[in-house]
Amino acid sequence: MKRSRSLKLALMSASVLTVAACDKPEEVAIFENLEQCINEAGFEREVCEAHLNTAKQEHVRVSPKYTSAADCEADFGAAQCEVAPQQTSSGGSVFMPLMMGYMMGNMLAGNSRVATQPLYRSKDNPGNFRTADNQKVAGKTGISKVPSSVTKAPTTKTRTTRRNGFGATAARNAGRVRSFGG
Amino acid sequence: MQRIAIDERDDWKSQAEALGFNFHTMYGEPYWDETACYRFTLRQIEDDIEDPTGDIEKMCFQVVDRAVESEEIMAKLAIPEFFRDYVRASWLNKEKNFYGRLDLSYNGQGPAKLLEYNADTPTALYESAAFQWLWLEQAMEREIIPAGCDQFNSIHERMVEAFGQFGIAGRLHLASCKGSDEDEGTVRYVEECAVQAGLDTAFLYIEDIGISEDGHFTDTDDMGIATLFKLYPWEWMMTDEFGQSIPDSGVTFIEPAWKAVLSNKGLLPLLWEMFEGHPNLLPAYFADDPRAADLEGGAVRKPLFSREGANIEMTRPGAAPLSVDGPYGEEGHIVQALHPLPVFEGNHTVIGSWLVASQPCGLCIREDDSPITKDSSRFLPHVIYD
Repeated sequence: MKRSRSLKLALMSASVLTVAACDKPEEVAIFENLEQCINEAGFEREVCEAHLNTAKQEHVRVSPKYTSAADCEADFGAAQCEVAPQQTSSGGSVFMPLMMGYMMGNMLAGNSRVATQPLYRSKDNPGNFRTADNQKVAGKTGISKVPSSVTKAPTTKTRTTRRNGFGATAARNAGRVRSFGG
Repeated sequence: MQRIAIDERDDWKSQAEALGFNFHTMYGEPYWDETACYRFTLRQIEDDIEDPTGDIEKMCFQVVDRAVESEEIMAKLAIPEFFRDYVRASWLNKEKNFYGRLDLSYNGQGPAKLLEYNADTPTALYESAAFQWLWLEQAMEREIIPAGCDQFNSIHERMVEAFGQFGIAGRLHLASCKGSDEDEGTVRYVEECAVQAGLDTAFLYIEDIGISEDGHFTDTDDMGIATLFKLYPWEWMMTDEFGQSIPDSGVTFIEPAWKAVLSNKGLLPLLWEMFEGHPNLLPAYFADDPRAADLEGGAVRKPLFSREGANIEMTRPGAAPLSVDGPYGEEGHIVQALHPLPVFEGNHTVIGSWLVASQPCGLCIREDDSPITKDSSRFLPHVIYD
């Protein structure tokens, strides 16, 4: 057979953008500190420490960054932000929310594809942990299930200085062509 | 290879619209046309289309190998000096290519001839991979065509597979230009394939891409872009304001920058120079090459960056010359020996041969009323039936 076998399901799901249906949840472990990881979940101390250190390093890299403490506190609440080691290009301070916990794979369940990462609590929804990508994780510590998309390493939140730098050549040709491909 | 008139499915328009295939009719004229289909034998598909497509891809890679090491060739291809190291690095780093479509002139007999390679921003993807596939299944079910028909079309499966093997870390961003339903539909479909491969994806318009202080490209949520699928030609990316920031942006692009060598009509003279006489190639020269004027039996003059037939000029023995208006051509031209498209019931028929991750995997047919295939051409489905 020279044609696709598996296409029917995809097509019949009609809406091109429905995503969630086939998303397999991942088991993750969420802790606020080392003690919870060791005492409540029963993980090895070394494992807990290694993941906490990874999360702390990631925290500096991936946490949402702000150029004013007030902007940061507007999103994360009063006294919930700290000064980041980064600086703006003009030497100004950069602020980031405090790391409120960390997420790792459930090491007791075998292989885990979860990227260990820091977690935050936002001002508008303090009951839930959130990733640096602002994806909701869970409200409590311990083992939880989350959509697999949440378990990937967060991309870095950054500050966009300009947009509209692509597309000018297309705009010059607009109206003369139906597609910008071929 | 035959053109066979058949009945349309009475509900194909409503199905197309339910599936988001909104560009089935263009400028009030049909684009998707199932009042006929083309029939091939398995031998024609495998020996005359599939195998030559793989061979041409291999020859193309040899052209890239040579082009990236030659300032002279890169200059002939109108690749700006600023980007030559970047194009070279993208090839030497083996950045993965996703898809492409060869346009072939083939009439059922003799070797198919390469007209051009849409290696960077091929369209007609959704209708080739998905809607054509659906037509086949339903046309057999409804006895419009005999049971036991097949189709050269595993494009969808190959795309899902390719995305699974790309090793994309983090989110895949996908972008098209504002103002083209066709391009956006195509990119939304590619996104669906990526999602089926388990990737985390986000769509945005190419115009909405931002840049941060440290030179990283950002999405509309200010998140850094790590991998970008763009239905937007490399030569335009290089010309646009943000182009200068591409080499240091750290973004992995799909298609990679080395596709700028292949999506360029300058590929055709380079192929002919390296593989002169190959049965699937036509004689071709850069326009400033004196041999271009000596081509016998008609010739086609094409801008390096033209698409969808724009700015093509055709001279024909014993017939008036033809030309199509358009915005391209300042960058230079090539001249290719004329190999007229076959004519079926008055329709000039071109074959698109798809590659995904360099594997030949499908076919699409477009018909035009004129010998030059344009964006007003019609898409017809095909079957393999011995």
